[in-house]
Amino acid sequence: MIKALGYFIAIIKGSLITTRHFMVNMWFHTLKLFRIKTKRKGAVTIQYPEEKRKIASRHRSLHRLLKREDGKPRCVACMLCVTVCPSECIFVEAAEDPDPEVQKVPSIFIIDLSRCCFCGFCVEACPEDAIRMDTGQIEFAEYSRDKLIYDLEKLMG
Amino acid sequence: MAKILIDERECDVAEGTTILKAAESAGLQIPHLCYHKAFMPEGSCRMCLVEIEGLPKLELACSTQVRDGMKVSTKSESVIEARKGVLECLLADHPIDCPICDKAGECKLQDYYEEYGLFESEFNEEKEKRQKKIEIGKNLLHDQERCVLCRRCVRFLDEVTKTRELGVFQRGVHAEVATYDGILVDNNYSGNLAELCPVGAITDKDFRFKTRTWFLQSRESICTLCSRGCNIYVESHQGFSRFSLPKRVYRIQTRENQMINGFWICDKGRYDYSYLDQERLDKIVVNNSEDPQSWQEITSIVAGEIGRLFHMKRSSHIGLILQSWLSNEELFLIDKIFRNDINIGKISFLDPPEESSDDFLLTAERTPNRRGAKEIGFDLQPADWEKFLEDVDLLFVFASPIKGDTDFSPLKAALDKIEKTVLFASHNHEINSLFDMVLPMSLIAEKGGSLTNIVGSVQGFSPALDAPGNCKPAWQFLVDLAKKLMINFDFYNQFSSPESIREVMKKEIPYFREEHE
Ligand code: SF4
Ligand code: SF4
Ligand code: SF4
Ligand code: SF4
Ligand code: FES
Repeated sequence: MIKALGYFIAIIKGSLITTRHFMVNMWFHTLKLFRIKTKRKGAVTIQYPEEKRKIASRHRSLHRLLKREDGKPRCVACMLCVTVCPSECIFVEAAEDPDPEVQKVPSIFIIDLSRCCFCGFCVEACPEDAIRMDTGQIEFAEYSRDKLIYDLEKLMG
Repeated sequence: MAKILIDERECDVAEGTTILKAAESAGLQIPHLCYHKAFMPEGSCRMCLVEIEGLPKLELACSTQVRDGMKVSTKSESVIEARKGVLECLLADHPIDCPICDKAGECKLQDYYEEYGLFESEFNEEKEKRQKKIEIGKNLLHDQERCVLCRRCVRFLDEVTKTRELGVFQRGVHAEVATYDGILVDNNYSGNLAELCPVGAITDKDFRFKTRTWFLQSRESICTLCSRGCNIYVESHQGFSRFSLPKRVYRIQTRENQMINGFWICDKGRYDYSYLDQERLDKIVVNNSEDPQSWQEITSIVAGEIGRLFHMKRSSHIGLILQSWLSNEELFLIDKIFRNDINIGKISFLDPPEESSDDFLLTAERTPNRRGAKEIGFDLQPADWEKFLEDVDLLFVFASPIKGDTDFSPLKAALDKIEKTVLFASHNHEINSLFDMVLPMSLIAEKGGSLTNIVGSVQGFSPALDAPGNCKPAWQFLVDLAKKLMINFDFYNQFSSPESIREVMKKEIPYFREEHE
């Protein structure tokens, strides 16, 4: 009995908080309507996904592998990203390139995005500026985990 | 004896020692590129400059001999400045392509730049373009841009193999290491060059781009591909948690042992390591099926078979065929169990045939422990197989690793007729299917023990790799089996490790008591 009463009190408390937020925001929006400048602004809800917020330039989003002028990956399979990745979610295998100035290219480059923690260390470690996280893509959820394993082809876009 | 002071540290060294060696004996490292313990000092890289009190200029630590009362400083301001200068000159024309260089991670230039360099380059000139991928040996590639002209490679081929395939051509900025008329380095010790080169100028085709050096775990072991017993490091990759690798071992490197192999190993020992991973048998196979069986059950079955014949006084119908891939300890246990306790009539060796030796390290015997077997008292002459297999009811064969070069044809015909045949093997092989029981055994690189090499040195070794799957070291199986047999329980019960077996072995066999290390 006493316990049930507790629930009701919590519900009432909750509604009071909602009401308070509503009134405070209403107040600032009304002031804005009358062009009165205040330090605090009324809260706005962004209508995601129809409406999207601008992503800051430093934001870390989906990885991409950059290309050389001739379309080959810039990556030289040095495995520094593999070494630094705290989630151990990158796998690289190297292959020989016929060009003696290039020599080493990745034959396999996999990022298991289901494990990636988006720390950006791989970008930081790369000596060739071959990997970046600047695609701005943040919506790549999938229904199955294997679709989150991105290979060379997918990463080169 | 000369008393000298290096960085305030006093050391007593023999007259005629170089400063670099004296410093090393005192635990001080002086950076060096061209100097290598195996050769006379060359004095070409200038990395080892030190200051000597009373002398106006810096001197080379690698080639200056000590004098009594000398005061040397390896850390003074002028030395540090000089090292930076030398490094800057070396790097001025260096491609710094560490991301694609297989030496990265163990490169002396990288290490010294980290430790003594850390300057911003002040050269604006374009770097000299040179050839980056020249084949100079059957397993070697040369990058002229990376070469620091230390001449270690040239000296190795002049002094150690005496084959003289490489030389330094041209002068000044154009100087380069190359072959004579394109004749490749092709001797049985060529692989040492890639290890000897202090930078990534000579790299190994076998290791090329396979992985990066810092992923490798380096553990001590002994080469088992001939009876020299060269000291090696087995370098294996622990793998990644989410991606599987095709193999464990990526390369074999030399381990210095002046008594056995000096600083070198042969190319056979260096490159023929694929047997460590390929075609490994890692499950117990009974009557050609891999139904899960535990070692405990198997040991009981084997002990039961032996016990039955033993109590029927038919021990002479047990046959045992060995290969000298077994360690001293294992051979000792076999001797104790099968010859002393059960007294079986037939023991013989079936080793791969001898091949040609090369007058340096590689021996004609291609198994590592024939000498050990001899010292324990086995007869190594192969038997007359027909007679040997005639009235055998229970046959044990220890063949690990079974390699292509052992001729098993004399056994094949007889195997069918023998009531029960048990094979201890480390690899899949066509002959496996002819045995009633095939038990997976660990290789030398996966267990502990000792081996006796061709000249009689007894060398201990410990596991460099984990045993795959259900593999078991032979000594462990033999101890378990002996305890199950209950013939001499207390004797075998004291054995818990190869070391404990060696202790007893030393007491019983005088050869192992003496120092042959
Ligand atoms: S962002 Fe971090 S966790 Fe993700 S792949 Fe790069 S290093 Fe690994
Ligand atoms: S660090 Fe850069 S160059 Fe090296 S493997 Fe990763 S993406 Fe490729
Ligand atoms: S190839 Fe290597 S060992 Fe030979 S001179 Fe050049 S740096 Fe020295
Ligand atoms: S000489 Fe014999 S023991 Fe030494 S590395 Fe070669 S095969 Fe191995
Ligand atoms: S190590 Fe002394 S000059 Fe090269």
